Amino acid sequence: MTSNALVAFEAISKAYGNGTRALTEVSFSVARGVIHAISGENGAGKSTLMKILFGLEQPSSGRLLLDGGVAEIRSPAAAVEQGIGMVHQHFTLVPSLTVAENIFLGQEQRSGIFVDREKTSRRVAALSKRFNLAVDPDARVSTLSVAAQQKVEILKALSRDIRLLILDEPTAVLSPPETEELFTRLRHLRDAGLTILFISHKLREVRALASHVTVLRAGRVVGDAQLADLDNDALSRLVMGGATSVARPVRASRSVGAPLVALKNVSQSRGRPGERVSNLDLTIYAGEVVGVAGVDGGGQQGLVALLSGRKAAESGTIVFGGRDMKSGSTRDWRSAGLAHLPADRHKDGSAMSMSLVDNAVAGAHRKPAYRMGALLDRRKMVEATRDMISEYGVRSPGPEAPLSALSGGNAQKLIAAREFASAPSFLIADEPTRGIDIAAAAFLHERMRNMAGTGVGILLVTSDLDELLTLSDRIVVMFGGRIVARFDTIDGLTPDRLGPFMLGLEETA
Amino acid sequence: MDASSVAEFVAVALRVSTPLTLAALGVLISTRAGVLNIGIEGMMLAGAFAGVVVSAFTGSALLGLAAAILIGAALGALLATAVHVAKADLILSGIAINIAAAAGTTLLLFLITGSKGVSSSLPSKTLPTIDIPLLGDLPLVGMAVSGHHILTYTAFLAAPLVALFLTRTPVGIRLRAVGEKPEAAAAAGVNVRRYQFWALAASGAFGGVAGAFLSMGYVSWFGQNMTAGRGFIALAAEVMGGGSALGTMLSAVVLGTAETISITMQGGGLPSELVQTVPYIVPILALLVHAMRRRRIARKSAA
Repeated sequence: MTSNALVAFEAISKAYGNGTRALTEVSFSVARGVIHAISGENGAGKSTLMKILFGLEQPSSGRLLLDGGVAEIRSPAAAVEQGIGMVHQHFTLVPSLTVAENIFLGQEQRSGIFVDREKTSRRVAALSKRFNLAVDPDARVSTLSVAAQQKVEILKALSRDIRLLILDEPTAVLSPPETEELFTRLRHLRDAGLTILFISHKLREVRALASHVTVLRAGRVVGDAQLADLDNDALSRLVMGGATSVARPVRASRSVGAPLVALKNVSQSRGRPGERVSNLDLTIYAGEVVGVAGVDGGGQQGLVALLSGRKAAESGTIVFGGRDMKSGSTRDWRSAGLAHLPADRHKDGSAMSMSLVDNAVAGAHRKPAYRMGALLDRRKMVEATRDMISEYGVRSPGPEAPLSALSGGNAQKLIAAREFASAPSFLIADEPTRGIDIAAAAFLHERMRNMAGTGVGILLVTSDLDELLTLSDRIVVMFGGRIVARFDTIDGLTPDRLGPFMLGLEETA
Repeated sequence: MDASSVAEFVAVALRVSTPLTLAALGVLISTRAGVLNIGIEGMMLAGAFAGVVVSAFTGSALLGLAAAILIGAALGALLATAVHVAKADLILSGIAINIAAAAGTTLLLFLITGSKGVSSSLPSKTLPTIDIPLLGDLPLVGMAVSGHHILTYTAFLAAPLVALFLTRTPVGIRLRAVGEKPEAAAAAGVNVRRYQFWALAASGAFGGVAGAFLSMGYVSWFGQNMTAGRGFIALAAEVMGGGSALGTMLSAVVLGTAETISITMQGGGLPSELVQTVPYIVPILALLVHAMRRRRIARKSAA
């Protein structure tokens, strides 16, 4: 089995100084010239394993074989020398440099003491042609879309003459059509002989792209098989540990309540393109989940900005809970009953370097419950945080640990616990489960359904169409800052039906 | 104002702009590597002092200049070491260097000359001036641009060289990558700390040359705290320059011209206290205009 393997992990374990065991006796091999997926929940050990393969971390025990020979990879530079390239989830591109300068950073084409720009551009053009990844060598990276930046990252790895390409959650930043395009490109690369390690927890994508999957759970290999030999149920059981089912939650028939938030002819023409909206008419009723679909820049961010008080509307009316909120501040919105799970939970939703307690009570500081005269009652804050941790099953080293010590899924659970604790009447869930593991996502989904059941109106903005179709009672599609389609029921609705509207090819509203 | 006084004004402006240009280019190199050199003022002062003392004791102006460059680079290296090895704060360490340079040069000046004010008792040398052939023979133009100090020409030649270095050489491109996105540079195998160390050393060397110009060209002695905030004005020039070497040079010339105006207006009847504020008010106004323009550009690109 190992004879044809490009990479073989043999009993790799990794324990950290603080006693955390990230990997335990991980053994499996990756065959040459295939797309091999590594799947598992957040914190399952996928990233640690890839860091070991890419030389960013060293295993505590066990060994790594490349071409059947023992390999010690001490640094990313050594990994590249061995023909291993990696595209990280967070890009490592310099925005003010050109595409060509980025690709050849550290291995510049010289003529004398200067960089040979012409030769560099030519080589990038040749690479781009050879691998069928179209980029403009002289464009500044800061002017490129995220999908184009990803192409540059892939080309950068390929320029180092690699034979194994590691892609860490590459679709997290892409819209569905961009994902499709990426997959086509990756299949081309595989056909050209490249071996690809595809890290993902999206099982649909794993199935669409890979031929073999290794599933990690809690640092151990729990499954390693050809995808042809695994049906979807078996695959999700492997990832989830059989604990939770990913079946759609039963949709309780509920009567939808009174209008909660109403936008009438609302426009906002200032701001970044994705934040501009025009002539929005939308009413969210108590007790329903309104899903918002759209590709990046479709105006969803503008809608969220208006409904969370980050921006005022230029024209039109916005009413929330009977009050005029056209230019309400975030504090106005929140005190009127808004809870908000922001898309960028690191930047807008939490303070990563502060403790769980500080994050859990942030925004509730004004509550008398946490006050002791002019001061805050720390003991009560810790108590409340402990309650949230146990109620939401947040896996953490304790309430005083920094939020950055938590995995993405657990951090999001804590943020959700904080938001839901304010007993909101209106919830904005903006990409609520992006980048978090399936179990945590299922948990949050159930919570949101329950909230809707108790009469909370929910606006769900998500690029995950499965999530959209699972949770929403009705759906609007945004494109170019406008609502281009409305679906008042989701019965019979499929991602294929939504696609043309999301891409602006069709319009009904 | 007649033609010859215009030519003279230009000549003075170029002279006044010289130390600002040199220091601002030094600041530029450090900022592009992501390590703002707040200590540039102190490095200039130390360079000015070292130039005078070493040239006085060796009798060689060139050795004086070399000493100025070395002391500036050494202080830059010290700042890098403080930040990278001792994990000190970059800005606070830079300020510490400014204070230490001001106090240290005053103390040494007193120990060497017995005076806390000026070094006029030392037989220090100055660097030569250069007459440009042909051009220098032209009336007015020659008066404006010829016969300047060698470091004045160095400063204005250095700007395009620094520009080429930053945009066209592998080392320059890596240096910008280090400053803008260190993790990208590191991923490409670039040693971030090493680049920042050498960037601060180079920045200090530029500061040292700027200081040498002050004490071995502009005047021929060292005076206590003779840099008089020029390092900070250079910091402002770098910000106004928008990250490019030529923009930085132009900004330095604008601020140098403001200082020249204040010098030429003295004795023009206005209270000298008021006139002396011009070189400091202009950078504030310039930065204000710069910030407003940047906001307008940001709004435009957003709209």
